[in-house]
Amino acid sequence: METDWSKVFEVFGSGIVGVFLVMFLLQVLTQFSTRVIDVVENLGNGKGSAPGADTPAPATKD
Amino acid sequence: MFDILKDLIYSSGAVSLTGGNLVMWLVSFVLLYLAIKKQYEPLLLLPIAFGILVVNLPLTFLMEPEHGLIWFFYHYGIEQDIIPPLIFLGLGAMIDFGPLIANPKTLLLGAGAQAGLYVTFFAAVLFGFDLQEAASIAIIGGADGPTTIYLTSKLAPHLLGATAVSAYAYMALVPIIQPPMMKLLTTDHERKIVMSKLRPVSKLQRICFPIITAMTIMLVVPPAAPLISMLMLGNLFKESGVVERLSKAASNELMNIVTIFLGLSVGATMTAGTFLSPKVLFIFFLGLFAFVVSTAAGLIMAKIMNLFLKDKINPLIGAAGVSAVPMAARCVHKVGSEANRRNYLLMHAMGPNVAGVIGTVVAAAILLKNLG
Repeated sequence: METDWSKVFEVFGSGIVGVFLVMFLLQVLTQFSTRVIDVVENLGNGKGSAPGADTPAPATKD
Repeated sequence: MFDILKDLIYSSGAVSLTGGNLVMWLVSFVLLYLAIKKQYEPLLLLPIAFGILVVNLPLTFLMEPEHGLIWFFYHYGIEQDIIPPLIFLGLGAMIDFGPLIANPKTLLLGAGAQAGLYVTFFAAVLFGFDLQEAASIAIIGGADGPTTIYLTSKLAPHLLGATAVSAYAYMALVPIIQPPMMKLLTTDHERKIVMSKLRPVSKLQRICFPIITAMTIMLVVPPAAPLISMLMLGNLFKESGVVERLSKAASNELMNIVTIFLGLSVGATMTAGTFLSPKVLFIFFLGLFAFVVSTAAGLIMAKIMNLFLKDKINPLIGAAGVSAVPMAARCVHKVGSEANRRNYLLMHAMGPNVAGVIGTVVAAAILLKNLG
């Protein structure tokens, strides 16, 4: 059977781009949600926006 | 008396034995040896090996459609997509996403390793496999057994035994396959990089993560729903802390039960007729290729990220982007501590390691969307 190379390239390209896009979106949402939760929890603890709340620790600093 | 004896002999399976059956017995004995003596993924390899043995005993009809005992396990468990998602439920109840939440950029390392999977897809097509078969072989590079089984059962069920055994065998061989790649693709200086301690992760953040992840992935890639929903539900059981019984049941009893049916069913697909072909040898070769390329892609992705990061990451953790939880992370830790005794990379590597599980599911879902 003849290989449909245009389909091969489509699967190859859309696969790589798709995985990166989904994982990047997840990264952004995770970073955003953890920061929001940090702020809310620090406010709840009466710390206001303490440095730890809006300044990410070294491991997460981009 | 003589007639009874003759009938007994002619109705026995022994007279129907073929050379192919004998070869499959040998394959089964090798896998039993690896599982029992070498303890390579014994939880899966042992039932798989026994499944191969019993299905290659003639006239047992264990895999005969609508009649055979193991056929029912296979049909309802794998063909109807029940078992792989249940394995993911148990896996979710065992996984700690804390290191990933503490350092979300490691999600990109989980994505990086999947690039190797698509390179293998391309290579498999060049070797003459059709697109569905190529996708089923490529997913081996994700080093995730249930996802491999899930995708293969949908796209190329005739290759199920070969891809599953290949995936589990290479996962067991992580400590042998990965370190040479790690050393080849990183400099001594890079391996010595010490990463800062991970930030603490609150309980609320741990609870929100599975909910956000499930919603995001299922909205963007709906074919990922069966696996990702169960993975995240299992994790929510664990992190919520209010359903300890369910969490324990999912990660222990349920996981153990479905593992038995999964292994036995996968092994039983490996009859001499389906397994003994040159294609299977290629699958094992391409499976290894997939694993090596995925490891390399993870390492390269980490090096690319370092070009943009102020606080450098140790590129070794990119190799943990293939799933193989927690074996790949342990392997990274070992190679890192050999380069620098002060280096403690285990928790840092767990981030990309669990990201790899998510990444493999996403990659499989995209393949399914394009080829299913």
